Amino acid sequence: MRHVRPLSVFLAIVVAAGSAGWSPGPARSQSPDVLLNVLATGAKKLNIAVPDFALRPGVEPRALARQLPEVVAADLRFSALFSPVTGTGAVPLDRPDDARRAWADFAGAGAHAGLQGIVSPRGDRIEVEMHLYDLTGPEFRLIASKTFQLPAADVRRLAHKVADEVVLQFTGERGVADTKIAYVGAATGMKELYSVDYDGAGSNRLTANKSINLSPAWSPDARSVAFTSYMRGYPYLYRIFAFESRPAQLLAGFLGINTSPAWSPDGKQVAMTLSKDGNPDIYVLTLTTGAFRRLTSHSGIDTEPTWSPTGREIAFISDRTGSPQLHVMDAEGANLRRVTQGGFVTQPRWSPRGDLIAYTAREGRHNVWIVASDGSQPRRLTNGEGDNQSASWAPNGKHLVFQSTRGSGRSQLYTALVDGSEVQPIPGLAGEVTSPAWSPRLP
Amino acid sequence: MAPRRSTLLSVLPLLALSLLVVGCPKRPATTAASAPPPSAPSPAPAAPAPAPAPPTQRDVGSSAPSAPAVPAPAPGAPAPSAATPPRPSEFRTVDALRDVFFEFDRYNIRPVDAKVLDRNAAWLKENQTQLVLIEGHCDERGTSEYNLALGERRAKAAMGYLVAQGIQANRITIISYGKERPSCTEHTEACWAKNRRAHFLVKAR
Repeated sequence: MRHVRPLSVFLAIVVAAGSAGWSPGPARSQSPDVLLNVLATGAKKLNIAVPDFALRPGVEPRALARQLPEVVAADLRFSALFSPVTGTGAVPLDRPDDARRAWADFAGAGAHAGLQGIVSPRGDRIEVEMHLYDLTGPEFRLIASKTFQLPAADVRRLAHKVADEVVLQFTGERGVADTKIAYVGAATGMKELYSVDYDGAGSNRLTANKSINLSPAWSPDARSVAFTSYMRGYPYLYRIFAFESRPAQLLAGFLGINTSPAWSPDGKQVAMTLSKDGNPDIYVLTLTTGAFRRLTSHSGIDTEPTWSPTGREIAFISDRTGSPQLHVMDAEGANLRRVTQGGFVTQPRWSPRGDLIAYTAREGRHNVWIVASDGSQPRRLTNGEGDNQSASWAPNGKHLVFQSTRGSGRSQLYTALVDGSEVQPIPGLAGEVTSPAWSPRLP
Repeated sequence: MAPRRSTLLSVLPLLALSLLVVGCPKRPATTAASAPPPSAPSPAPAAPAPAPAPPTQRDVGSSAPSAPAVPAPAPGAPAPSAATPPRPSEFRTVDALRDVFFEFDRYNIRPVDAKVLDRNAAWLKENQTQLVLIEGHCDERGTSEYNLALGERRAKAAMGYLVAQGIQANRITIISYGKERPSCTEHTEACWAKNRRAHFLVKAR
């Protein structure tokens, strides 16, 4: 594993992107209030130049030269760590002096880093070679070079991979742009599962069984999605392979409800709610053997399990104390403890970092809350505008996606940072959209 | 306020369950046991693929990730057994069987609804050839998953009452639709109250 060297300059930078600074050449759409935004969020952002990518002969369409950097820039902006500028001509290839002059111009205009992309055809695949430069010193040090290759149809993912690599180089953790969000969409009048790029591009229907499909949950390898479906009349639990032509696979088809799937972090087990033994309780299915293990046994409702990232604990909702509350037990069902102490609490989702659990609280309307896994410091993530529910964590534990009826009254998807800032809609999804599930990073 | 769960009703569902035979086999309709997924697929990170093979994409999409080929599931496995309960679509509503309703986040049978269930039980006794499907429903508030569990408890509470009135448990199938099939779609308490219900349908044996 290569050692990742966060740029020491990054944390030291105090953005000074005022009127005089960061607007090289024909910079388009650079907001004049970058500094105000930076101050408002309390964050420090790194100015990064993302000029047009250079296209080798044979790459079509030529518009990719600008489209790819735009996608990279949007990803970097989403990370809330960068202030990217696009729209300038490609840095000259094979002419070191000219390239150096180009970077010097960017540095002079306030850029702290520069990203160069070179796109080449590779048969029916496309390759992007990226070079990331530190523009804060006179030598324009090369921070990293990296090459990505994917089928031509997936060219947009190449931009996401480049952006995630840039985030990795500056923070030590890969970004989350090359991810999907699965959701329940009602655009056809039925509830079907869909998946879409995290930024709203490329929406793709995963089911077409014209029944009710609910509760998508990505497997840790990002290849399959477990879900509840009425496709055979009753609510059984299945998984579907999101990127392969394979039929849905039945995971649990017992009498009663088979709902609320949650994958163990190692992908070998699925926790779920079954009522086969009398009333809704938590069970765990071991995929390789097909064996079910019962974890709870209570006359109330136990449902909505979610694993801690260590796999050692499972949080779930139980109404055993009178109203639905968040509880935690170990993965064998022992050592039960109650985490929330009042209200009406559902939809727990354990953060991939392990320290936090997001949930939905009904308080007149619904809001997303976040609590430490020991029950301390509960705080509201959403502000009561519309109904806000069904949070799902990005794999970095820094972003969440949730559904909200704010604005139009129609349920749509929004993303936010864990502190509740940077709320923005995922655009372009038709109909009522609910139950988002953020995928792990794609392979 | 009505008691959360009557003692009677906390016992009846267990009794009812133990009697589920015809149309509601005690054995699961199907389980994953008969269909183990591909044996321990190695996690993606363990299979570094700088140039993965072109994926067999489910749909033409500009952004589907590449994925290594996965062995197909064991053939012939996941099909519901012959003992699967009749499909819900085979049942029909009859005027004689009336809905019963529930308080918010509750699944106990209220006295007023017990009278409705008494009449439903009487009709079922007079119509011995009819099997009954009890649907449990919720209002739109709360989450899909919790409401599926709540709807299950409502259907089961109604079933328990009918069984206590002498209706054979093996004539009864239950299904929860949670909040997914409201009878009323306005966002008002009047509408929500109509949706918190157990609904009865029948089919001839």
